[in-house]
Amino acid sequence: MEKKYWQSLEDYKDSLKKTTESKAEAVPEFSIEGLDESEVKGQSSRRDFLKMLGFSVSAVALVSSCQMPVRKAIPLLNQPEDLIPGVPNYYASTFFDGVDYCSILVKTRENRPIKIEGNNLSPLSMGATSARVQASVLNLYDDARLKDPMKEGKAAKWEMLDKEVVKSLENLRAINRKVALVTSTIISPSTRTLIEEFTKTYPNIEWITYDSISASALLKANDINFGQATLPSYNFDKANVIVGFNADFLGNWLLPVTYTKQYSSRRKLNKANPSMSRSYQYESRLSLTGSNADIRYGIKPSEEAVVLLNLYNRIAKATGQPTVSVGKASVEIDQAANDLLKNKGKSLVVSGTNSLDIQLVVNAINHMLENYGKTIDLSKPLNIRQGDEAKMQQLVSEMNAGNIHGMLLYNVNPAYDYPDQEAFKKGLTKAKLKVAFNDTMDETAKLCDYVLTTNNYLESWDDSEAVKGIYSMTQPTVRPIFNTRQFQDSLLLWLEKGMDFSTYMEQLWAKKITDEAMEVGDFTSFWNQFKHDGVFHHETEVDHPEFKATNLKAAPAAKGGMELVLYEKISIGNGKYTNNPWLLEMPDPISTATWDNYLTISPQYAEEQGLAKEDVVTLNGLFEIPVLVQPGQPYGTASLAVGFGRTDAGKAAVGAGQNAYPLMHINKDSFQMGGQIINVEKVAGKNYPLALTQMHHDMEDRPIVRETTLAEYKKDPSSGNELHAYDEEHNATLYGKVDFDGIHWGMSIDLTSCTGCANCVIACQAENNVAVIGKEQVRNRRIMHWMRIDRYFSKDEVNPEVHHMPVMCQHCDNAPCENVCPVAATNHSNEGLNQMAYNRCIGTRYCINNCPYKVRRFNWFEFANNNKFDYNMNSDLGKMVLNPDVIVRQRGVVEKCSLCVQRLQEKKLTAKMENRSLVDGEVQTACSQSCPADAIQFGNLLEKDSVVALNKEDERTYHLMEHLHTLPSTSYLTKVRNTEA
Amino acid sequence: MIINGFVPKKPFALKGFLTTGALSLLLFFSYTTFGQSAEAEKNFAVCKACHTIGGGKLVGPDLKGVTEKYDEEWLIKFIQNSTQLIESGDAQAIKVFEEFNKIPMPPNALSDEQVKDLLLYIANDGKVSGSAETAVVETEAVEDVNESAEQLLAELKRDDARNMQTTFVVLLILLLISVFDLVVIRLIKAKWIHIIIILISVVVMGEILFVEAAALGRQQYYQPEQPVWFSHKVHAGQNKIDCKYCHFTADKSMHAGIPPVQVCLNCHNQVREGKITGTEEIAKIHQAVADNKPIEWIKVHNLPDHVYFNHAQHVNAGKVDCNDCHGEVEKMDEIIQVEDLSMGWCVECHRTTEVQFASNKFYEQYLSTHEKLKNGELDKVTVQTMGGDECQKCHY
Repeated sequence: MEKKYWQSLEDYKDSLKKTTESKAEAVPEFSIEGLDESEVKGQSSRRDFLKMLGFSVSAVALVSSCQMPVRKAIPLLNQPEDLIPGVPNYYASTFFDGVDYCSILVKTRENRPIKIEGNNLSPLSMGATSARVQASVLNLYDDARLKDPMKEGKAAKWEMLDKEVVKSLENLRAINRKVALVTSTIISPSTRTLIEEFTKTYPNIEWITYDSISASALLKANDINFGQATLPSYNFDKANVIVGFNADFLGNWLLPVTYTKQYSSRRKLNKANPSMSRSYQYESRLSLTGSNADIRYGIKPSEEAVVLLNLYNRIAKATGQPTVSVGKASVEIDQAANDLLKNKGKSLVVSGTNSLDIQLVVNAINHMLENYGKTIDLSKPLNIRQGDEAKMQQLVSEMNAGNIHGMLLYNVNPAYDYPDQEAFKKGLTKAKLKVAFNDTMDETAKLCDYVLTTNNYLESWDDSEAVKGIYSMTQPTVRPIFNTRQFQDSLLLWLEKGMDFSTYMEQLWAKKITDEAMEVGDFTSFWNQFKHDGVFHHETEVDHPEFKATNLKAAPAAKGGMELVLYEKISIGNGKYTNNPWLLEMPDPISTATWDNYLTISPQYAEEQGLAKEDVVTLNGLFEIPVLVQPGQPYGTASLAVGFGRTDAGKAAVGAGQNAYPLMHINKDSFQMGGQIINVEKVAGKNYPLALTQMHHDMEDRPIVRETTLAEYKKDPSSGNELHAYDEEHNATLYGKVDFDGIHWGMSIDLTSCTGCANCVIACQAENNVAVIGKEQVRNRRIMHWMRIDRYFSKDEVNPEVHHMPVMCQHCDNAPCENVCPVAATNHSNEGLNQMAYNRCIGTRYCINNCPYKVRRFNWFEFANNNKFDYNMNSDLGKMVLNPDVIVRQRGVVEKCSLCVQRLQEKKLTAKMENRSLVDGEVQTACSQSCPADAIQFGNLLEKDSVVALNKEDERTYHLMEHLHTLPSTSYLTKVRNTEA
Repeated sequence: MIINGFVPKKPFALKGFLTTGALSLLLFFSYTTFGQSAEAEKNFAVCKACHTIGGGKLVGPDLKGVTEKYDEEWLIKFIQNSTQLIESGDAQAIKVFEEFNKIPMPPNALSDEQVKDLLLYIANDGKVSGSAETAVVETEAVEDVNESAEQLLAELKRDDARNMQTTFVVLLILLLISVFDLVVIRLIKAKWIHIIIILISVVVMGEILFVEAAALGRQQYYQPEQPVWFSHKVHAGQNKIDCKYCHFTADKSMHAGIPPVQVCLNCHNQVREGKITGTEEIAKIHQAVADNKPIEWIKVHNLPDHVYFNHAQHVNAGKVDCNDCHGEVEKMDEIIQVEDLSMGWCVECHRTTEVQFASNKFYEQYLSTHEKLKNGELDKVTVQTMGGDECQKCHY
C-alpha cells in the first residue's frame, strides 16, 4: 500500500477517520450496475464487432465525403480611400457617460470599433483610460440594447412617436402644465445650448440635472466661500502633501483618470533628486486611494467632521486664525497637520463626503494653507457632477402632488438609483406624458410610455467641456447599428431645425469662434483639426475668486452603532454598466471579488459576531447580503457597493448582487454615501458563495513585493532589494547564456506608481479576446484573464499596508513551462517571447503546473458559441468586439499573455515598410498603452536608451521569484512608501 | 476579406467620417510624403492599365514621345477630361478618339501641376528623375498567350491525384486477393509471392493514406466557378495590367483585397465588350452598380483562421513577387490555387528566402547578425535567421 504523508496532526487525524469510514462503506469507485456481463468481463461479442465495423465505415465515409465550405470574398461596392480592409483606423473621440470623462482614440477595423485607447493629446486624460472606459466598447455590442423605439413596450415608428410626443408637448404648453426634463450632467456646450433653446420654445419645461452620486455639497460650499457654485480643478501633481477624507480620487471621485495620472507623476523616483508626494487618507472603508496612501487612518463616517475640525484648529492656531470648539479626534492628526503646515501652497486637502458642513471646513483649511490658485484652481471650473439633489427631491414631491404633467428623462435611471425610488415610481405614474431617451429598457424606461432609443456614444456626435476651456469632440465611429437616434437629433427634429446635430454643432462652433474671437485661422481646417485631434483648448485668464470666510458649525457628536458606507466599485461604478460582463468579472482591486456586491465588515466585528466570509446577513431587514471580512475596514463600519441588483439591465446582470441605493443617507439637500446606521443580523445557517480570485493575503514570507521607504531609499537606492544582488550572484546554470540580437522585448512595472486600478486587466481582455467565464467558473479558479493584479496585505489586519502587483506571463528566458511541454507547443522566440502555439497544444497542463507565477490559463470549456457561457462571445452582436488579429482559443488548450505579439508584429512591419528602425515607445502592449499611472513600461531591452533598458539597470529592479533563475523579461521596481517624516 | 463571418450590411459609415478618417490615417500611420516625381510614378499606375511608354499600343496609344507630338496645354486638358474636349469639338482630340476604336479615356482628377509632372515622367521614359530604376519595363510586344501552361500543369497534377486513387484501389484488391489465396484457396504455393505483394501494397497504401490525410482541408488545384467569368489572362497577361492596380491594398494591408466595382469601372465604363465573352460578363459589373450590390466572388486561397498572413509584409517588406505564391496568374483564365498553402510550404520558403537585410534600415539594429555576416559566420540572412520559422510569427 502507498505510504501516506501528513502535514499536521489534524491532517493525520482526518486521514485516519477517512480510512475507517471508507472501509465501512466500501463502495467501489465505479458502479457496474446496468452493464452486460460481457462488458464487465471485457469480452466483445459479434454484435460489438458489427457495431464497431459500422461505426468505422461510416466515420471513414463521413471524413472522405467532407467538402470544404465555399468561402466568399465580397468586396465593397465603393471603397473609400481611407478604408482598407485589414488596416485599423483610429478616430479621436470622447467618453462621457454622465459621470466619467476621458478623451480616447477608437480603434476600428472594417468600420467596427474594437478597442479604446488613450488620447495622448488630451491635457485632461493624457493618454490614460480607466477600466470602465476600456470596457465601454462592449456596451456598443450589448444584446440588451433596444433595437427600435418603443411605445408602451412595443416597437414603433419614429414618425408616429415624434408626432405624438410633439403633440402632447404642445398641448401641455398650451394649457401651461409643468413638464420636467431630467438629465444626467451634460458637459456638452452644444447640447446645453440646444436644451436651453428647447426649454425656451417650451417654457413649461423645467430642466433638472440629476446624478445618482453627486458633489452638490462641494458645489454649495464653493458658492458660499467663493460666490460661484462650481467644482475646482485639482492639481495633485503640484501637491507635496495630500490629505484625503473619504475621497477616493484614484478610484471614483470626480476625474479619477486625470488624478491618477497627476498623482503618479509625483511617485516616480529619480536617483539624482529623490522626492515623492506624501498622501494621507482618513477613510471609512479600504478604498483604492487608501490602499495607495502612505499613511492611512480608519474613521467612522460620523467622526469625519470631528477629525477635520481638529485639523482645522491645529492649522488655525499655527496661522493665527480663530479656532472652533470641538471634541478630541479619535485618530492622530499631528503628523498630517505638521506636513501640511510645512507645505503651504503645495498641499491639498480633499473630502469626498457630500456634506456641506464638511466641505466648508475643507475649504477653510485649504484657504489657510494658501492652496487656492495653486493646487486648487477655481478659475478653471470642472463641469462634471452638476447634479442637484435639492431640486430632484423637490421634483419628486411635486410629482407626487400631481403637479408634473410630463416627464422627459435622458440618460438617468431614478427608478433604480434614486434613494427613495418608490416615491419616484409612484410620482411617475401621475405624469400624463412619460418619455425616456434611453438605449436599454431599464428600470425607468420600463415605466415610460415612450422610449426613444438613443445611440451609443460610439455612434454619436457631441462636444464636451469637462474643464472650462478644454474642449473635446465625440464623433461617431460606426453607423448606428440599430434603429436609434441620438437625443440631440430628437430635440432638433421637434424644434423643426431641419438639420442634424453635427451640423448644429458645427454652426454653434463657427459662431463661438467669432464671438469669443478665438484665433484658429480658417474654420474648416480648424474643425477638421478638432475632429482629428479630438481635443482643443482655449484657456482664458480669469482671476481666481476671493475667499469669503463663513462660520463653521461645531461637529455633531459621533453616533453609536454600525455605520454603513456605500461606495462605487472600480469596475461597474454607479450601475449604468452592470450588464457589461467584462466589468462584472473584473476582480475588485481590494477584495478581489467578482460578480456580486457584499457587505465588508472589520475582522474585529466578525469575530465578535461570529461571522465569517460568505455568511449571509440581513440589512435593516431589507435584503440578504453575504459578508466579506475585510482587513482595513474600520471597526463600527460596514461597506456595501452600489450599482448591483439591477432588475432590468440585461442577461449578464441577472442575479448580480443587491441594490444598495435605498440605503443612501438622505439629508435635506444632499444624499450621502456614508453615515446611515444599519442593523445587521445574521441569517443562521445560510451561505452565499462569493467568487474571489485571490483567497489569501499573505506572501508566505517570500520576497514577492519588495518595498522600502523614501528615507531608506535616499540612503541606499537598493534598499529593500538586497536580495537581488545575492540572487544575481548565486544563480548558476549549466546551460549557455541565450544571446538575443536586435530585439529582446521586455517590460518593467513600477510598483511605486501602480495604483491597482485594473485598467490594464480590461485593456488586455479587449485586445486579446479573453473569454468571460461566469461566476461559477471563477469560483473554480478558472478565470481566464491574462493579467491579474495580486493584492497583498501586511502589518496588521486593523490597518494593513496594501500592495498591488500586476502579474502576467513573465516571459522567462529560462522558462520552466517550455521544457515540460511534450509537444513543444510553448517555446521561446528569438525576441525573448515565450510563445504559445494553440494549435499544437494538446492540453496536458504540465506547463501550468510548472509555472511558478501561475499565469497560464486552461480552456476548460469552449467559451465561444456556448449557451452555458452566455456572454459576449455567444452572440453575433457581442462577437463584433473581437479583435480579428487574435484567434479565439478553443477548448482544451492553454493560453496566456503573449505580450500582445500582434501589436509588436504590426509595428515591426510598419517600420520595415517605412524603411526605418523602431523608435522607443512606439511599440506598446495593450496594458502599457493606457496605464493611467505609467507604471507599466514596455520596450526593447537591447535598445540602450529605451525606458525598459534603463529601468533594468536601476537598483530598484528585481524579478519575481528570481531565486528560481527563470530569467524573466518582465521586471519590477520596488515599492517605495513615503511614510517617515 | 470578411473576418469571422461578419458581413457588413451597411458597408459605409457617414460621409462625414471620411475627412476625419483620412486625417487619422495621417496621424497614425505616419504618412510618407512623396516627392513630385515619385508621385507621378504613383499616378502613372492608373495610366498603365491602357498605356505603355515605348511598349507598343494597348487599349490606348503608346505614350513614348507624346510630349513632343502634342503641346502641353492640350495634353493637360485631354488628360484631365478627354470626353469634354472631344465634345467641345476639338479636331485633334476627335482624331485620337476615332483612331483608338472610340474608347474614351476616363477623366483624371489631377491638378495642372500633377499632369505636368506626369508628362515629365513620361518624357523621361518612365524613370523617376534621380533614380536609375526603370518604372515601367514593358518593352516586350504583347504576345498572344494561347496556351495556358499553368492550367495544363494543374490538370496534370490533378490527374496525378486521380492516379493515386486508382493505385490505392488496385493495391487494395491485390492485397485482398493475396490474403484470400494465402488463407483460403491456397492456389499459389510459393508463399513469398503473397508476402511480397502484401508488403508492397501495405507500404504504398500507407504512404498514399498519409499524403491524403495530411492534405485534408487543403485545397490545392481548387478552381471554383466565379460569379463573373473574369479572365486574369486577358487582364494581367494580354493587357499587362499590374496586379496591384486592382489588388491595390496588397502592399498596404494584410488582405490583398478583391477590387471594388469602382475599380472595374475605371476601364469598363468605356470598355463594354470583351473579345471572348462579349457584353454578357461585363454587363454584370454594371448590374452590380445598378443593384447597389457587390459581386460575391468565391475565395480561392483560403488559410485557416489560426494563421496570420499579411500581404503587405510579403509584398512590401519581403519584396516577394505575387507569382511566387499564386502561380502564373497571367496565364490563367479563372484562378486556380497552384500551391497547397500548407505550413510545410510556408516554412520551406522562410528557410530559403533572404530578407532585405542590407537595404532595409529596420535591420540595422541586428548588430551581431551584421557582425556574423562580416566575418563570414553567416553567408546569407534568411527569414528563418530572423526567427521567421517560429510559432508566434504567424500563429497568435
